Amino acid sequence: MTELIRMAGVSKAYGRIQALKDVDFVVNETEIVGLLGDNGAGKSTLIKVLSGAVPATSGEIYVRGKKVSIRSTTDAIANGIETIYQDSALVTQLSIARNLFLGREPVKGPRIFNRLDHAAMEAVTRDLLKRVGISKNIPPSTPIGSLSGGERQAVAIARAMHFESDLIILDEPTNNLGVAETQGVLRFVRNARKSGHSCIFIAHNIHHVFQVVDRIVVMRGGQIVADDINPKQSSVEDVERIITGMSDEELEHALGPNNNH
Amino acid sequence: MPIGLPVENRSLIQRFIAKPEFGPLVLLLAEIAVFWSINPDFLSPLNISNTLSFTVELGLIALAMTLLMTAGEFDLSVGSVFGFAPVLMWTLFNSGITSLEVAFVIALGVAALIGLANGLFVTRIKISSFLVTLGMLLVVRGVALFISDGFPQRTWSAGQHWLAHVLVGDFYIGPFRIYMSLFWFIGFALLLGYVLTQTKAGNWIQATGGNPGAARARGVNVNRTKVLLFMLSSTMASFAGVISSIRTSAANPNSGAGYELEVIAMVVIGGTALMGGRGTIIGTVLGVFILRVMRNGIVLIGVPGLAYNIFIGAIILGMMTLHSVLERRHQAGT
Repeated sequence: MTELIRMAGVSKAYGRIQALKDVDFVVNETEIVGLLGDNGAGKSTLIKVLSGAVPATSGEIYVRGKKVSIRSTTDAIANGIETIYQDSALVTQLSIARNLFLGREPVKGPRIFNRLDHAAMEAVTRDLLKRVGISKNIPPSTPIGSLSGGERQAVAIARAMHFESDLIILDEPTNNLGVAETQGVLRFVRNARKSGHSCIFIAHNIHHVFQVVDRIVVMRGGQIVADDINPKQSSVEDVERIITGMSDEELEHALGPNNNH
Repeated sequence: MPIGLPVENRSLIQRFIAKPEFGPLVLLLAEIAVFWSINPDFLSPLNISNTLSFTVELGLIALAMTLLMTAGEFDLSVGSVFGFAPVLMWTLFNSGITSLEVAFVIALGVAALIGLANGLFVTRIKISSFLVTLGMLLVVRGVALFISDGFPQRTWSAGQHWLAHVLVGDFYIGPFRIYMSLFWFIGFALLLGYVLTQTKAGNWIQATGGNPGAARARGVNVNRTKVLLFMLSSTMASFAGVISSIRTSAANPNSGAGYELEVIAMVVIGGTALMGGRGTIIGTVLGVFILRVMRNGIVLIGVPGLAYNIFIGAIILGMMTLHSVLERRHQAGT
């Protein structure tokens, strides 16, 4: 597999708190990586560093083997890394088409008039919604505010696909979603891979991660403690043990006698 | 995944009713019908001409305020700038320091700097625009009173100057006396309406007010957008102040007091969201006329002028209720 992103020896300290300790992390092309860890394990910080939301204290980031500097979200986007947060980073008052092209709007006519090319925006939006897997006929002029949570995630994924983001980071994309909507989002993620994109998938619900990823990486205490777990050859319990760092007995005791994992 | 009825499947009438401008339009038509039925002079050429002449001065400020409020900020200093700019211009001209043209450009330039200061305080020092522009309101009004010793500046010397003709020259179309300021208002309404709905800049303004974090993440320069809109708001207030000073033949340092709230009311009644993200220039034009027609109409039908604020308050409450109901219906897709 060809390597897409490599983080080498990345550390991040917030004052005296060491959130990331010398982390090495790799995502390959067209690979979906599940990033798991308990609260405070460091996965959010790792994603923030990669998406340019916070700068690393030390370490290096490579995109296709070339060292890059990511100091802001625009740097990350310019390097093909798109992050989709829980709130999807969409503007609810704007239409789907206007959201998709926000910041990179196509214009037509003389430059001085700065006129939006509505027809082009709507045509591309229709095509993208189809590609991402939304089967219903939702007009591109629909405001984001009237879409469901799952559909908003789909729009955010569609945007990342259109602007040829190589890596799409999904931070808790299935939070607060119903069963059908969650399945929809998982389908959107699979479609993104089919279109040649890589993904980092972060979710508290391990079962969701197991359904969609190629490889699981587990973080604990600001470090990566397992980076090549194959979901087809491991059980949810195995991964939970690695996340918590507990032995079989300790985990069983912590979960209680009636747990039905 | 539940979703409302797709917009394209709605009938033309349903789509028209769902628009934020629908409520204000109905209100304006109802207002005109009521005043006209009580006093037919309400639609006389003289009354229409008089109402239009001062309506557009506040209207110019409201147009710029619409863009600023769509970007999630507002400007309480516009009333003070409206009073200050003509005082500065006429003081420079009357004391022989500059020609009228140069004084005019300086007045607009200083107003733009006031807007720049507002914008920098809001975006760099992160103070809310309410507090920043409240402070600026007092500073600018104080300066206007100080440089004029509290007395109005004479402006009748502008009488035959070409600038006066271009800004507020009047002529008759049939029985209607039309001021040039009406054309400035129409021109800016078309221009800013185009900017807000048809351009890349308009998309950025709406995104800046709707979700600044998301806009920033997409590479939109949120701070620069806000600063430029603060500058536009101040410059437009000074432009309106100069027009008013020439029309009324007086540059009074106290003029424009209280305009800020009336302008914000016009914008909000028109359907622009107070918290930003959604704005409408057509709605603002309707909002401007709703309040000005109300002010004019209640006097014409014999309601004491002092009762004006009761009607304005009631209109704001009524319109907010209507917008809220329509918004919920829109979200529900009905």
